Amino acid sequence: MVGIVGIVVVCHTPELARAARDLALEMVSGPSPPIALAAGAAGGEVAGTDAAAVADAIAEVASRDGVLVLLDLGSAVLSAEMGLELLGDPECEVRLSDAPLVEGLTAAVVASAAGAGLEAVEAEARSALLPKQQHLGVSGVSAASGSSEAARVRDASAPDGDHAEVQLWLENPHGLHARPAAEFVRIATGFDAQVRVSNLTLGRGPADAASVISVLALGAEQGHRIRIEGTGPQAAEAVEALRQSARP
Amino acid sequence: MASVPVTAQALTDWLLRYRDLVMAQRDYLTELDSAIGDADHGINMTRGMDAVVASLSEAPPGTVDRLLKGAGMTLVSTVGGAAGPLYGTFFLRCAAAVGSVPAVSASELGAALRAGAEGVVALGKAQRGDKTMVDALSPAVIAFEVAVEDGGSAARAAAAASSAAESGRDATMPMIARKGRASYLGERSAGHLDPGAASSALLFQALAEAFATADAHG
Repeated sequence: MVGIVGIVVVCHTPELARAARDLALEMVSGPSPPIALAAGAAGGEVAGTDAAAVADAIAEVASRDGVLVLLDLGSAVLSAEMGLELLGDPECEVRLSDAPLVEGLTAAVVASAAGAGLEAVEAEARSALLPKQQHLGVSGVSAASGSSEAARVRDASAPDGDHAEVQLWLENPHGLHARPAAEFVRIATGFDAQVRVSNLTLGRGPADAASVISVLALGAEQGHRIRIEGTGPQAAEAVEALRQSARP
Repeated sequence: MASVPVTAQALTDWLLRYRDLVMAQRDYLTELDSAIGDADHGINMTRGMDAVVASLSEAPPGTVDRLLKGAGMTLVSTVGGAAGPLYGTFFLRCAAAVGSVPAVSASELGAALRAGAEGVVALGKAQRGDKTMVDALSPAVIAFEVAVEDGGSAARAAAAASSAAESGRDATMPMIARKGRASYLGERSAGHLDPGAASSALLFQALAEAFATADAHG
């Protein structure tokens, strides 16, 4: 089974780090993954970053499941790289994320809380701009690319087994955005099944229900018709639980 | 010219002198940084070097590596901006190169300074011409080693390094920044000295002044 990927947040101010962390945690209803902050210099009194504090933060959340480090800008990158060097050779794998801070941290927190491995958590963070880009119609980003790397990583090992499917109209005023999407992912990953969800109204998907970014990229609003498909030993239970959760 | 070893005390004098120079030029460094950065380089370096000097007086390190490593780690945690990890890496790599000794030869110091500069390049990924501290640091460490190879004392090598650092700093004036906050300004960064190159030049000015004093007494 999967463990819990640790998360480190490197920001120029403790206020920014706490605010970004708290915003991300609003998406998670269950226990949060281990998150450590490294923000400010001179003990947090001065705006800036501190490589020694980054090293300490990584050590705080390190485990054999690995650590993803989210960064704001400028010296955060240098301090994080140097922090890794100061740690020497950590036993757990540590990756520095190239994702934007707020979106990447939120995606990473949701993915880690849902039990994703380091590879998938990193991929979720990296593709975290996708829902916004799609919504704004950024060129080069198509609805078809709603499947993130994380989805591809998980699709690689689709299990055989029972199949279950349901279609429903989304009644939740928030559609399948933000917290409902994170909750959807949390529920979907709690079953021994591979779950995919499609937005029939917009013709998007199928998206891997284990990837919050992929789910968000469906752009599913209130009133849209979605299809939830499950494959695997607990396909029926997974689909039923998700059908229940989609009710307002 | 006898080859006088460079002691931990001489290097301590270097750091003390550097703090004095940075403090005296704090507003100038900040002004440079206002033109093409985020207006805090002088403030950051003063805070960092004040912290270095404070920790030196608390517990004077006996060996060269502990001195330099302590300075590096203090800068990492107190400077705040990119200069923190960059100068921090410079001193940490110097420390790693010299080992746990009470004094080093001019030649060993030259190799250590070069290791420090290489660390800065490896971390910051800047090259000469990118308009960064590397534009002063690289020519300085090269000049130091060349002077030592030519038979010069540590004091003479430091003077050569200081001169090269100043030239390197001045050379940044017309450059267009390709790294750091200044790179966001693009062509507008030309016509200003790089603040990191300016503080690096002060580093080698401090080295030259500290060693000249030591030479006069030694």
